[in-house]
Amino acid sequence: MHTVFSMAIVAAYVVVLTFVAVRARAAREFREFSLAKRALPLALVFGSLAATNVGPVFSIGFVGRGFKSGLLFLGIGLAYSAQNILVGLLVAPRLRALKNCHTLGDAIGQKYDRDCQVLAGLISVGLCAGFAAVMAKAGGDVLRDIFGLPHWSSVVIVVGVTALYTTFGGLRASVITDAFQFSTFAILLPVTLLFVLLFHLTGGAATFAKEASAATSYGFGTTSCIEIVGLVMAFLLGETLIPPYANRALASGTTRISRNGFILAGVFSLAWFMVMVALGISARSIIPQGTGEDDVLLKLVKSVMPAEGYALLLVVLASIVMSSLDSLLNAGAVAFTQDIVKPFANVPDNKALIIGRSATIIIAAIAAVGAVAVPSIISGLLICYSIWAPAILPALIIGLWIKRPRPLAGILSMGIGTLVAIMFQFIFPSLTKVPAIITEMPAIIPALGAALLAYVAGHWISKIREERKRCQ
Amino acid sequence: MSVIILILVVIAALFVIVSGVWVARALITAISANGSLPDIQNHTDEHNSQQDDSRIKNTE
Repeated sequence: MHTVFSMAIVAAYVVVLTFVAVRARAAREFREFSLAKRALPLALVFGSLAATNVGPVFSIGFVGRGFKSGLLFLGIGLAYSAQNILVGLLVAPRLRALKNCHTLGDAIGQKYDRDCQVLAGLISVGLCAGFAAVMAKAGGDVLRDIFGLPHWSSVVIVVGVTALYTTFGGLRASVITDAFQFSTFAILLPVTLLFVLLFHLTGGAATFAKEASAATSYGFGTTSCIEIVGLVMAFLLGETLIPPYANRALASGTTRISRNGFILAGVFSLAWFMVMVALGISARSIIPQGTGEDDVLLKLVKSVMPAEGYALLLVVLASIVMSSLDSLLNAGAVAFTQDIVKPFANVPDNKALIIGRSATIIIAAIAAVGAVAVPSIISGLLICYSIWAPAILPALIIGLWIKRPRPLAGILSMGIGTLVAIMFQFIFPSLTKVPAIITEMPAIIPALGAALLAYVAGHWISKIREERKRCQ
Repeated sequence: MSVIILILVVIAALFVIVSGVWVARALITAISANGSLPDIQNHTDEHNSQQDDSRIKNTE
């Protein structure tokens, strides 16, 4: 009987999701495919940003961290919330204010030159494919757990379904389905927490505080200062303005919506982390202490909720992974068309739409194949973070704020930032080990330093050249 | 102190639920209008956007 109810709930969820995706309708022009006509209202911008935020890392990952290290990760999560608010205040409105801008590459192209745009496009497409591979693996893992399918076929199903609605609907379909997936998840997990606090937490507030204190002390005792600094850096910069977020900033109806969407998403992420960490802390008195971090949420829900609730959580979890995946596929396809194809060819709108759709399918195929090579969800994401922040952020943020950005500074910063990050991540990973503390410093720190130095050097060289020309 | 922590957690949970309901309502409006809502908003939004854009330029 339980199985029938569970299957009915899963089927009902899939039917509603399909209905929502169909109602989002197919994009008819490239501007609609890439930017949803730059007309998204605040609630949808916020919902879509928050849906990308509350992916598997910030749900399964944070519940596990709350279980092991209590409030420590809530403190580290503050860096992520601050990042969203700072982007909302300082960067998103400036990005939205640029005219005829579809991508980050476009923004960089407008501030620097065409070569910088193409390089930013190549980095964006590569990183979107990398992030998409990580999400494909995560989605495949969840689907395998639900239906017991082989991993490769689970990955193919997740990527295939996501690519289908993203290819036709573009950004609008991505944002609409994100909003649906976000709403379900944002209601389901806090309700689970309230259910646990009301009916399963024996000892009430005192037990909760005791468990929180014990876990937090353990967390601080087993995490070194350099590790905490590295984690704060990764949370502060790693996901800053990755292409899907930038697309939402650009697609907002107004600069004000763009700013407020990011600020609200930052405030929301803080409340979200509190709920996730609280779930982890509550789980300490309900499930066995030796439970693996990634299994805490599922085991907790399985032991406190009815079978139907558990089935619904699994299917919502799979769809929240799809919401991150669809954003990445769309962002990668738009970056390919706008930053790599368009600078070299005068492409009419209908052809751009076809190229964008074809690129969505190709990136989805690369992600499905790449999912096999992803070592784990967290390590895969950290690799992408380590490359993205140094490669793009210095050139983008400085370019948006200074009066005359120099193309040489942009090229050097993006090129050297990418190379140093790849070198520390793949070729000489031992260089990032700090022997005295026997821990590992994320590659993001040296790569970001190198990118900033390269920017300053490029800016300075260009300035000297300009002054010499003026003197001659 | 322990009661205050628990109250903060409950407030956070309620805030997340309210956010979910708010986005769900916006979603229902958007899809029940068959996608026409953002297009209608676009006219006023472009006007607001232009005002915001000029404000950003003035600060530069």
